[in-house]
Amino acid sequence: MNILTLRTFIDTILYSYAQIFFSNRRWVGAALLIAAFVSPVIGLFALLGAVISTLLAQALKYNAERIRTGFYGFNGILFGAAGAYYCELTPLYVGFILVFIFVTFFASTSLEHYLASSFNLPGLSLPFILSLDIFLTFIKTFDWVHFKTNSVQPGFFEVIPEYIRLYFHSFGFILFQTDVLAGMIIAVAILFFSRVLFVNSIIAYALNYFLVKNLFPDPTPALYIQTSLNAILVAFALGGSLIIISRKTIILIVLATVMTLIFNIFFTSVFGVHGLPIFVLPFNVVVLATIYSLKFRQEQSDLVLLYFAPGSPEENYYYHQNRKSRFDKFRFVFPELPFFGEWKVSQGINGSITHKTDWRHAWDFVITDESGKEYRGNGLSPEDYFCYNTPVVAPLDGEVVRIVDNIPDNEINNPNLKNNWGNTIIINHGYGLFSSISHIKPGSFEVKKGDHVLKGQTVARCGNSGRSPVPHLHFQFQLTDRLGEKTYLFPLSQYFQRNAGETTLCTFDYPNEGDLVRNIEAHSTIRRAFDFRIGQEFELSWTLNGKQYTEHWDVKADSTNAVYIESSIGTVAYIHPKEKVFFMANVLGSKKSALYYFYLLSISVPLGYGERLRWTDTFPISATIGKAVRFVSEFMLVFTNLLSSSAVLWFEKQDDPKKQFIVRSTHTRLGRGVLGWFKANGTGSIVIDSDARISELYFETGKTNFQATIREKEMPV
Amino acid sequence: MGKKQYERPIINKQYSGFMNKFGNATVSQPKTEIENIPVKDLVAQYGSPLFVMSERVMRENQRNVARIFRTRYPKVQFAWSYKTNYMNAVCSVFHQEGSWAEVVSEFEYDRARRLGVQGEHIIFNGPDKSTEGLERAIREKAKIHIDHYDELYELIEITERLGLTAQVAIRVNYDVGVYPKWDRFGFNYENGEAREALKRIVVNKKLKLVGLHSHIGTYMMSPEPYRIAMTKMVALANWLKSQHHVHLEYLDAGGGLPSHNTLKGQYLQAEEALPALDQYADAITGPLFELESYGDSMPTLILESGRALIDNAGFLISTISALKRLSDGKRAYIIDAGINLLFTSFWYKHKLVPAQATGVIKENASVFGPLCMNIDCIHEDISLPAMKKGEHVVLFNVGAYTMTQWMQFITLRPSVVMIMEKGGVEVIRKGESLDYVMQLEQTPDSLKKFSLV
Repeated sequence: MNILTLRTFIDTILYSYAQIFFSNRRWVGAALLIAAFVSPVIGLFALLGAVISTLLAQALKYNAERIRTGFYGFNGILFGAAGAYYCELTPLYVGFILVFIFVTFFASTSLEHYLASSFNLPGLSLPFILSLDIFLTFIKTFDWVHFKTNSVQPGFFEVIPEYIRLYFHSFGFILFQTDVLAGMIIAVAILFFSRVLFVNSIIAYALNYFLVKNLFPDPTPALYIQTSLNAILVAFALGGSLIIISRKTIILIVLATVMTLIFNIFFTSVFGVHGLPIFVLPFNVVVLATIYSLKFRQEQSDLVLLYFAPGSPEENYYYHQNRKSRFDKFRFVFPELPFFGEWKVSQGINGSITHKTDWRHAWDFVITDESGKEYRGNGLSPEDYFCYNTPVVAPLDGEVVRIVDNIPDNEINNPNLKNNWGNTIIINHGYGLFSSISHIKPGSFEVKKGDHVLKGQTVARCGNSGRSPVPHLHFQFQLTDRLGEKTYLFPLSQYFQRNAGETTLCTFDYPNEGDLVRNIEAHSTIRRAFDFRIGQEFELSWTLNGKQYTEHWDVKADSTNAVYIESSIGTVAYIHPKEKVFFMANVLGSKKSALYYFYLLSISVPLGYGERLRWTDTFPISATIGKAVRFVSEFMLVFTNLLSSSAVLWFEKQDDPKKQFIVRSTHTRLGRGVLGWFKANGTGSIVIDSDARISELYFETGKTNFQATIREKEMPV
Repeated sequence: MGKKQYERPIINKQYSGFMNKFGNATVSQPKTEIENIPVKDLVAQYGSPLFVMSERVMRENQRNVARIFRTRYPKVQFAWSYKTNYMNAVCSVFHQEGSWAEVVSEFEYDRARRLGVQGEHIIFNGPDKSTEGLERAIREKAKIHIDHYDELYELIEITERLGLTAQVAIRVNYDVGVYPKWDRFGFNYENGEAREALKRIVVNKKLKLVGLHSHIGTYMMSPEPYRIAMTKMVALANWLKSQHHVHLEYLDAGGGLPSHNTLKGQYLQAEEALPALDQYADAITGPLFELESYGDSMPTLILESGRALIDNAGFLISTISALKRLSDGKRAYIIDAGINLLFTSFWYKHKLVPAQATGVIKENASVFGPLCMNIDCIHEDISLPAMKKGEHVVLFNVGAYTMTQWMQFITLRPSVVMIMEKGGVEVIRKGESLDYVMQLEQTPDSLKKFSLV
């Protein structure tokens, strides 16, 4: 076994331990491994369980990535520990434990697969409970087996009040430890791994303690421990590890704690008849039932089930919040404005003139000059109006389903109230979405009913027909092909909006009355610079605070077709290129890499240039703010988030072939409330040369000074 | 109420029977201020004659034309025609508005480069490009618009020799139904010359065909020729795409859009006679939608407008030097600006108005320049109110082709000032001095001395 595979193997063992508490940190695994060795024999058998399960999975060639995450090991750990806990060790008994580690392994793989494929649920520790109860039922039939009488040992820690000691015991007993010390080690590891889980454990424990104390006559320590360890694990699973935290998860934890207690009593009564331990069975049942039932909700916006590879509950929350605020508004289609150039919204949604009641989700557009005028000369004929006879284009691909033509253009200020809509084109975009454009010039249609049109294709010319005092376009989305159908609120996917001289980028937004809006015209240089293609490779050399590094990037796609850049340093950045805007979706792995900085600098970039254009975007807190600051805030994270991290970006154009465009950004990280003292600023830039290549990166804060040069590796022709 | 102005008596010959559908003489308002700055103050400070440019009007023109085209076609790029007016300050205004540079000589090319325009933002037109000029343009990735076969051969030779690729387009000329036919520039479309030249370029690995160019004329008074020209250019682009798989980056429609100057021999005022720019824009952009297989990367439309963007941003202030009666009794004014400054008055009837309040009675007059040459006539017949020696007149629409075609003939060239958008006046070219004019001259020693008795 060479060093690399040995290291992988050790990683796997550590991850197996960490998995017991829904963690993906090796050091948490190491802490748990040490905690298990507080009782050395149990620690040894737990380790044996992990090693055998992992080796078995490797020998049988299960998915290498899943093996590495400790997926196959953790039921083995629990079974090994339990085996050593319940009975006196004799050679024959040990032999049976080993055999049952195999049984546990097969039980976990098959149960896991069954739950995943049939119910889309995690297996949790159900396989362990199943094989433990089979094992104990089997073992009981032999008279050479001697059950131990275990009891919790206060040890040196007798000074600690019992209700605190029992809290630690509850942690310790998950690894079949009877010593308080083991529980303490685990509790500290949890505290450092996740403040959210730590707070959850206290809430669940306290509530459970209160209930047990008041509901049961004379509860034993064993009852406290049995019930609260289940309550704590349930609080972990539902309060952060499998469901993304929010204030509602606290209510869920409270309800689930009560439920867990009920199931504890129920299973103890049912299984107790046969003298079988129920251990973490209530936890498994409550969590699986809750998660499964939550899946059937029509809308999943609250109590969101984890939908990506889990990190710590805090990281999951930050990632989810960031994704939600940035991408939740995205729709399955990308409609754009139905014209060329910059137009003004003369009447917006809920406009005061005609956009009312069922027809409120519509826009009117006109063209204005620098001074805001809509016409030249005296504006007495439609031809004087800037928008008259300009092209009208399809907002989205679709089929022309209705055309109304031959309604004459009105004279100025003489609207046609008989044919309200005037000449109109209605396009079916599929998915039940239709768009309708009205007040078109008679006889200007370039398409006919039944034609398939592409987004941006000219379909007609702007006119002054229908209820239109002056030439303008009326634009609305609707759900049928009827003329004059009520409007449907649907956003426009990407456009520049100008107001008071400042232009900003809007994605899946609704133009406001008075705004000057235009479609993004992709600039070939910017577009090529951010066109990352699968198979591309980049070589980077960079310096961080004066130290020199090199790095290699590969552009790849995963099984869901998500495109990502993988760095040789171990950072992965998921990109989300959407038509005319480039987005960085997420960054994972090491933050000491050029790719991490590139993620910061290119969080979003429109692929078209605009004068005085500025746009903003936000980062997940965990990706941009250090652990020490987060540590404090995360105690309160369930209630409120005290940190924010955002950037303002803009283009700078230079007439220098080496620096044709610079994407500049200022980054602000802010705390509020008790973290009001926290503020960190940074500035960065991406340099794009005239050959449309990203050539240099810069990022600077008070503490860091990062510079990089990028070179694309020539592809073999 | 001030003192009533004295109007000296005028004898006007009356013609009976000549009806005038416009009624009696038009009242023209005096132009006492340019962009809110009194003409008097300008003359006092910068002398007479004086060219005055308005930054605001230039920007407004550019933005209006840009708006008109961009609301009709999504990708439009303007290239400032240097020959129209290559004062640095003027060019900079247009570059700030996002225009590239369109040059027709190495002199103009160098000007653009010195101003800070990168090669790739320069369109290099013209029938006379030297070997050195082409070499430089290739190195700097300028867009070279090939005018004739000899230039094409030379480009092939130079690119081979340098081992560099040139960014090229060809200028195409066509019959667009106007006279005169501008067939002396570029390759002809109808006789197949253009396709032959394009075939040669396409097969050459060192020539990258990036666009097509045409410039059908100047001061075009109808949009239809543009529609014909663009339709033919699009046909050529579609042929290139289908036959040679060439994806053009741009189509250059040239310039030639009319300004609001009235031509000699034009009956109506230009404002009334000319179609709106919207109609030109419709004619130019309309055919572009017939481009085939371009998907969502349509070529950029390049426009090289000059005149239409700057003519009305230029004013010429001049002073009346003398009044005369010609032999037939016709009134004549001699002003201090002549055809040395207004080459354009050979074909334009430049609008001319007094710069101060005058009486209302008008008299037919001729306006002559200061040169001691018979041809120096700005207006042969113009109806003007009575003015005195020392008073000023303002000539309109002199922004285009004046400061590039003026000559140092008989007298020196005056200052050019720009009225800035944010207020204030800046000299953008100082008036010439004797030293400036003589600095390049060298007198042989034997000719340095003479004595006159």
